[in-house]
Amino acid sequence: MAGIYGIGVSALKAAQAGIAATTHNIANANTPGYSRQEIMQTAELPQNTGAGYFGQGANVTSVLRRYDQFLGVQVLEAQTQTSNLTAQFDLAQQVSNLFGDANGGLTPALQDFFSSVNTVSNAPESIAARQTMIGSGQSLVNRLDTFDQRLSQIRDSLNGRMTSSVASINSYAKQIAALNVNIVELQAKTPGQAPNDLLDQRDLLISQLSQEIRVTTVSQPEGSVDVFIGNGQSLVVGRTVSSLHTVTSTTDPTALDVAYLNNGNSAKIQQSQLQGGNLGAYLDFRQNILDPAVNSLGRIAIGLAETFNQQHQQGLDLKGALGTAFFSSAAPRTTSASGNLGTGALTATISDASALTARDYSVQFDGTNYNIFDTTSNALVQSFTEADLTAGQVVTGTGITLQLTGSASIGDSFLVRPTADAAKGMALNITDPSKIAAASPIRSNAPIANKGSGVIGAATVDTTAVPLLPLNVNLQNAVTITFIDATHFNVDDATLGPLAVNSVYDPAVGATLSFNGWTAKLTGVPSANDTFTIQNNINASSDGTNVLKMAELQTANTMVNGTTSYQGAYGQLISQVGTQTRELDVTSKAQSSMLAQVTKAQQSTSGVNLDEEAANLLKYQQAYQAAAKAMAISQSMFDSLLQLGG
Amino acid sequence: MRISTGTFYNESVASMNQLQVNIAQTTQQLATGRKILSPADDPAAAARAAELTQIDSANTQFGSNRIAATNVLSLADGILQSVTNLILDAKDVSTAATNGLLDAAARKSMAIDIQGRLEELIGLANSTDGTGNFIFAGAQGKVKPFADTGTGVVYQGDDVQRKVQAATGRQIPITDSGADIFMRVRNGNGTFNVAPGTANAGDSTIKQGVVTDAALYDGHDYQIHFTSANTYDINDVTTGLPVLAGNAYVSGQAISFNGIQFEIKGTPALNDTFDVTPSQNQSIFDTLTKLVATLSAPAVAVSGPTNASYRQGLSDAFNSLEQGLNVVLGTRATMGARLRELDALNVTGDDLGTQYKATLSKIQDTDYNKAISDLTQQQMVLTAAQKSFSQVSKMSLFDYL
Repeated sequence: MAGIYGIGVSALKAAQAGIAATTHNIANANTPGYSRQEIMQTAELPQNTGAGYFGQGANVTSVLRRYDQFLGVQVLEAQTQTSNLTAQFDLAQQVSNLFGDANGGLTPALQDFFSSVNTVSNAPESIAARQTMIGSGQSLVNRLDTFDQRLSQIRDSLNGRMTSSVASINSYAKQIAALNVNIVELQAKTPGQAPNDLLDQRDLLISQLSQEIRVTTVSQPEGSVDVFIGNGQSLVVGRTVSSLHTVTSTTDPTALDVAYLNNGNSAKIQQSQLQGGNLGAYLDFRQNILDPAVNSLGRIAIGLAETFNQQHQQGLDLKGALGTAFFSSAAPRTTSASGNLGTGALTATISDASALTARDYSVQFDGTNYNIFDTTSNALVQSFTEADLTAGQVVTGTGITLQLTGSASIGDSFLVRPTADAAKGMALNITDPSKIAAASPIRSNAPIANKGSGVIGAATVDTTAVPLLPLNVNLQNAVTITFIDATHFNVDDATLGPLAVNSVYDPAVGATLSFNGWTAKLTGVPSANDTFTIQNNINASSDGTNVLKMAELQTANTMVNGTTSYQGAYGQLISQVGTQTRELDVTSKAQSSMLAQVTKAQQSTSGVNLDEEAANLLKYQQAYQAAAKAMAISQSMFDSLLQLGG
Repeated sequence: MRISTGTFYNESVASMNQLQVNIAQTTQQLATGRKILSPADDPAAAARAAELTQIDSANTQFGSNRIAATNVLSLADGILQSVTNLILDAKDVSTAATNGLLDAAARKSMAIDIQGRLEELIGLANSTDGTGNFIFAGAQGKVKPFADTGTGVVYQGDDVQRKVQAATGRQIPITDSGADIFMRVRNGNGTFNVAPGTANAGDSTIKQGVVTDAALYDGHDYQIHFTSANTYDINDVTTGLPVLAGNAYVSGQAISFNGIQFEIKGTPALNDTFDVTPSQNQSIFDTLTKLVATLSAPAVAVSGPTNASYRQGLSDAFNSLEQGLNVVLGTRATMGARLRELDALNVTGDDLGTQYKATLSKIQDTDYNKAISDLTQQQMVLTAAQKSFSQVSKMSLFDYL
């Protein structure tokens, strides 16, 4: 009789426990990170009688957490990837939309500018046309500046995001360590029983942490979990927490880097090791999308400014003065690493605008040589000795010249960003419309009195001269070509005296003359005493020779080693950013659906299904009712016995 | 497989979100008319579209350049049309003046007429375009190109031809130097010029000749010297050597030597000379000035030296006007060719513009049929998703407890 009571009570207890666990599940159906719990119910040890083993009822041995370690790790990895790609995609989209805007992109500004250059070439004397050219030049400069500002804003917002991401990482790490302490204590009190809800909380924190950065975890037997980031830097070991913080980049004062803070000491981490999650996304985005976009844009600015200036300086303005630079552009940025010990400082100048790349370069001194590395590919570009570099060297394939002053200590490094400041630093150098150098600086002339049929072609600036600029100081000297007879001539400079005496001329093929930095072609049959003159092209208000050449630059292949035009280079930038964004769009979508799949699988083990819980409620309720009935039967059996006695 | 209740809600919401994103994208395509909303939608096409936009706009720009070129060329051609008429009129006068019955007063009125024509010609040569730039001054648009200095008309412009970019890789000259049109007119026959000596006493004239053999002509100065009324010597003035001595003279008979040939008519006197020199430039202004001088000669006898000089003057003027006319007509022919090329380029340019726009539209414009059909489909799917979500989420075992 007592046995039946005992069994009944154990059944009631078990059913109550079951209902409690089910209700707990229902209560936490929407709790993030919650894993459903089940009671572990076993039969009591049976009692041996001569008639066999009689069961002694049920016993709840533990509360189980439905959790699959393997799926958990998969979700973590999928999550870190997804948040990484999604964050990068969101950022990349901002850049991509910036460049692709049909009305706000660089294309319309370029078109307007060159359209105004063409207008000046049609009416070189028109001040109104010249004013328009200056206005649209200013618009072009402003457009580039606007781009740079938008990109700078994105860069600034990146710094903010990195700081808050690092703060989140530190906060998660602290909470994980605190939970480690609790869990270890609780597990020590009741060996073999896990504090399920605390485990869930800790797993949730690790999962949130993995959204910020990729982590690896190692579970310890006593119940704590160690968390590592990057290449095995410990973030949480048991109850000990290390933290990250942001520091100004040693090489780029506008950027933040992430450093490791261990026992109060800051230590550098290779930024490339910080992968996955939002933080990894910010670093990747900055290195792979933002910086190259800024550099490519800067390359267009420098290319445009340099080539346009070069042509402009080969012309003559309305006042008869030689053209000056139309645009001004920014010099390459060089930064010495903040930890440098030596006195060495680098300066960089543009040596060939068409050879410029959109890359950045780091210069590292190994004690003997200054090694120049491409920061994107980490490939060695060129090495120079200190003596060579002090003299100034053109770095092959980069379009820049580097020069060292002072000397570096071993291990010192420098960052060279040839085009990073160019879009921001471009400005219009000319505000006076009459200063647009539309005309040719020189003109050729044949006196009416010439008797022969000799003809001199237009005198042009000799573009084969190296260096082309500054122009030959004698370019505009008055030069007279006098024919001694039909096949011989003298060339006299009014300032310098004779340039050539008794040169031979073949009327059948003509001759190309090059003196003082100009060239002109002679054809036909001159007579003795015929003269031709080359002189300063003063008063040539209607001469658009030079502005016509400037207009031609619109479609000339002046960029990227002479393979493409300004617009082509911009097209490359659009397609580069567009491709990167598209790739991120596709991969982030794929990764999101991968995350959905893995999460679904994980939830199919750990998630709460309310219908299932309703069924369990019924199950335990019925078990409870049945046990109660058994107790009642036992009661009535006892009553029957009592009646026998009465 | 178990489905957790949370998963069901999350998945349903996620898929409805995605459907709404798609609908928003399609709606935006319909609203903007553009298929590529961001370069990420189709990077290659976005870059191509930007490039095509530029090519198309450059093509449009070339179109405006051609209009500017056509305007300048047409204006210049109109002026040269007037110059042509003026020269033809002057030629008529020089022909009419050969009428032997003309008296001094009639010649005088002709001289006044030609003087007027000369001034008109200077005016035409100094024409300006609509904005006050001299058309025939080369690049020196603000410098008046032709000025009468009292000793003749001089050219103050330069020889620069203004050009416009009429198409990719094609620059068309739109102006011609005034010097080439009005000043560089060769006298004589264009190769050599013949003229009677200023002190000739006979009654003879010389007619501009021809080059019969260019290989033999050496460009030297020659002189025909009459040693009597019937015989003459030919001397090479450049070398000082005689060419042919003691030739018999027959009026109107061709005189040929060293690859050239010309005729002397009339009755020369002893020691009369005729000079043969290489052609030089003689401006149309000079020609007209000389014609005025010829017509204004105070006394022209019925025969003799004054008559010979008068007839020689008219014949030279006629010849030079003919040369000038050829230059002007040649210039106009070149201008006509340029205008025709501009017309041809306009046609090609318009065709290209249409093609560029069609290609651009294909690359970046919304295909409305497709977009509307997409939208309908997306709406249908979203409606289905919403309905099934609301139906399925209503099902709960708890309803039956």
